[in-house]
Amino acid sequence: MKTITCDQFHHFLYSIREDFEIVGPVILHDGTLSLGRLTAEPLALFAGRIPFRFTSLFFPHSERLFAMSDEYRFDKSGSSAKPLLVVGWRAEDLEALEFIDEFFRTGFRDDVFCDRRQSSVVIGVSGRCGVNGEFCRISEGKCDMELIYDGKHFIMAEYTENGRFLSEKIVWGEETDSLEALLQESRALRTPEREILQTASQLLMRNQVDDDFWAEIADRCIQCTSCTNVCPTCTCFDVYDMRLKRKIERYRMWDSCQMSGFMREASGHNPLASQSDRTRRRIRHKLVDDLHRWGRMTCFLCGRCDDVCPTGIGMKAVAAEIVERFG
Amino acid sequence: MVSCFEKKQYSERGNCDCFHFGVFMDSRIGHAAYEPAIYSIHSISDLTPHEKLFRIEIPDAVDFRHEPGQFVQLSVWGWGEAPISISNSPTRKGYLEFAIRHAGSLTGALHQMRPGSKIGLRGPFGNGFDVNRLRSQNLLLIAGGCGLAPLRSLIQYCEDCRDEFMDIRILYGAKTPHDLLYKSDLAAWMESETFDCRIIVDFVAPNHGYSGKIGLLPELIPPLEVEAENTTAVLVGPPMMYPFVVEALRKKGLDDERIMVSLERHMKCGIGKCGHCAIDHFSCCIDGPVFLLRDLQGTEWAG
Ligand SMILES: Cc1cc2nc3c(=O)[nH]c(=O)nc-3n(C[C@H](O)[C@H](O)[C@H](O)COP(=O)(O)OP(=O)(O)OC[C@H]3O[C@@H](n4cnc5c(N)ncnc54)[C@H](O)[C@@H]3O)c2cc1C
Ligand code: SF4
Ligand code: SF4
Ligand code: FES
Repeated sequence: MKTITCDQFHHFLYSIREDFEIVGPVILHDGTLSLGRLTAEPLALFAGRIPFRFTSLFFPHSERLFAMSDEYRFDKSGSSAKPLLVVGWRAEDLEALEFIDEFFRTGFRDDVFCDRRQSSVVIGVSGRCGVNGEFCRISEGKCDMELIYDGKHFIMAEYTENGRFLSEKIVWGEETDSLEALLQESRALRTPEREILQTASQLLMRNQVDDDFWAEIADRCIQCTSCTNVCPTCTCFDVYDMRLKRKIERYRMWDSCQMSGFMREASGHNPLASQSDRTRRRIRHKLVDDLHRWGRMTCFLCGRCDDVCPTGIGMKAVAAEIVERFG
Repeated sequence: MVSCFEKKQYSERGNCDCFHFGVFMDSRIGHAAYEPAIYSIHSISDLTPHEKLFRIEIPDAVDFRHEPGQFVQLSVWGWGEAPISISNSPTRKGYLEFAIRHAGSLTGALHQMRPGSKIGLRGPFGNGFDVNRLRSQNLLLIAGGCGLAPLRSLIQYCEDCRDEFMDIRILYGAKTPHDLLYKSDLAAWMESETFDCRIIVDFVAPNHGYSGKIGLLPELIPPLEVEAENTTAVLVGPPMMYPFVVEALRKKGLDDERIMVSLERHMKCGIGKCGHCAIDHFSCCIDGPVFLLRDLQGTEWAG
């Protein structure tokens, strides 16, 4: 395994700029942390989590499914965009990506997502890379390459062909075998939030959370849909047509189960008519339903919904309250 | 709990050799995940004041195979896409029929179309009526309102493969005599030896010539003699009526393994991705629309 400094890594990124669209965390002029293209400024790899749905790189807020001319011909002109190279995702982000990869691939293959995802390269960042140098869990394999920060250098772990391909292009750096200590530190990290989530999941599964609880939490929801908008494992979308001159285009756009019009039976009845039903759905879906369907909970505790919810009822907060009251 | 991925496989051939079910993945139309195939409407006829029958011809060269109870995603250009049940049996090949109610914008635009107009189709999608489970059974085929559209595909299948089933009873309820779908089919089924077909309407306007039964659909069930141990009921209609029908069926001794229900939710993708048709961990579009009542136990739908 090679070690490389942050500067050297950026040199490397600049050297492959022609071949890849390089995207990662950037700090905007006003100080906001965002996701952006690599510019003359280095990427903000130590600035904490990007505060929105980073999986939007592969599942954008709105995207075209197809275009069709008034002669009923599909527009096959694919974009010749460069492959994406994504840098800076944390272990929980990579777990979320792993889940939506599986989600879009399983059963019917969602080619719109898969085609974009297939040509991309993902580089995770972990180790002592927290805002104040705190330790971020090592994903140990959920990306093409992981940069594990030991406080001075990145140790490069390559997990896929793509990762090895990139790593071979990196001419700097020294060989090291010092990863073991970092791995042990990572594996020994305490995960009290995970335990709370699991307990909440079990309580929900055993129907030990009553309707009054949901009514009370829902009372605090203002239906702003921020929680579903930032969540990296939320995948719901709506589909609509745009009528343009001599053609139509069909698009999909993120949708939110927190909106009252989200679900309808064919007869017109709304099965999620009250906010209480919808709040329950938001939490249960990730902690119970996906456990049934996908064999795991699909909240990876990235904390984004808790960060954005203006009324303090993000996933972690609700899970903690469930455990406190019903556990 | 039954795994969601336990796909029904119709490898077992029925006694009827009019057709057999293939591996569905290979017999769909539409390109990629979201691009529909383009078809011309062959003919349109009126079924009721609000419902029209649309017929599409499928050329021999196209490998399209469906099972009774499946649906397609139908595109009207510029209006989007809606799930629509295939109303004819797979035993009747070379064409597809759709009974479509003028319910909103897309279906409104469709009702304005003429033969020759181009629409888009993707599909077939969904789990239809599990014919393997119905074989060698007495059948109670129960439809309310628009529910006859999908159920007709099964009724025609039963007609064409009559030997596979025992007694077949059709119970159909609509708001008024005007709203009865497929009036000529109904007349034929009532005439025929093949079925015992009973109809009921909620109310009749004064001076209407209708002489049949008036009342609510569940009222058709108590008078029936049902051999619970070899009878399976199939239920398609507005979910509002299900609790009443299910209760009447349970009183006849049918347990939840012997009752199939179709649950239709607005769908945007038809392929399990958009999230609009979810019932807890199920997606109606790929796990349904037809479910065994047993499998819905404990879900939000069952309450
Ligand atoms: C599996 C399946 C099979 C089906 N088969 C058939 C069939 O064979 N024949 C048939 O006629 N129909 C069928 N349907 C129903 C059909 O798909 C819907 O009626 C479809 O919505 C019609 O589209 P539309 O654009 O015309 O109506 P829409 O514009 O979607 O409107 C339909 C109704 O829903 C209301 N509505 C729509 N969106 C909203 C919202 N966001 N908030 C509040 N109200 C809303 C409208 O006011 C209207 O009353 C089926 C549905 C399913 C799920
Ligand atoms: S913490 Fe919130 S935003 Fe993050 S994965 Fe869980 S539910 Fe989604
Ligand atoms: S972010 Fe909070 S207030 Fe906004 S919809 Fe989600 S739960 Fe409700
Ligand atoms: S219609 Fe999109 S998930 Fe079922």
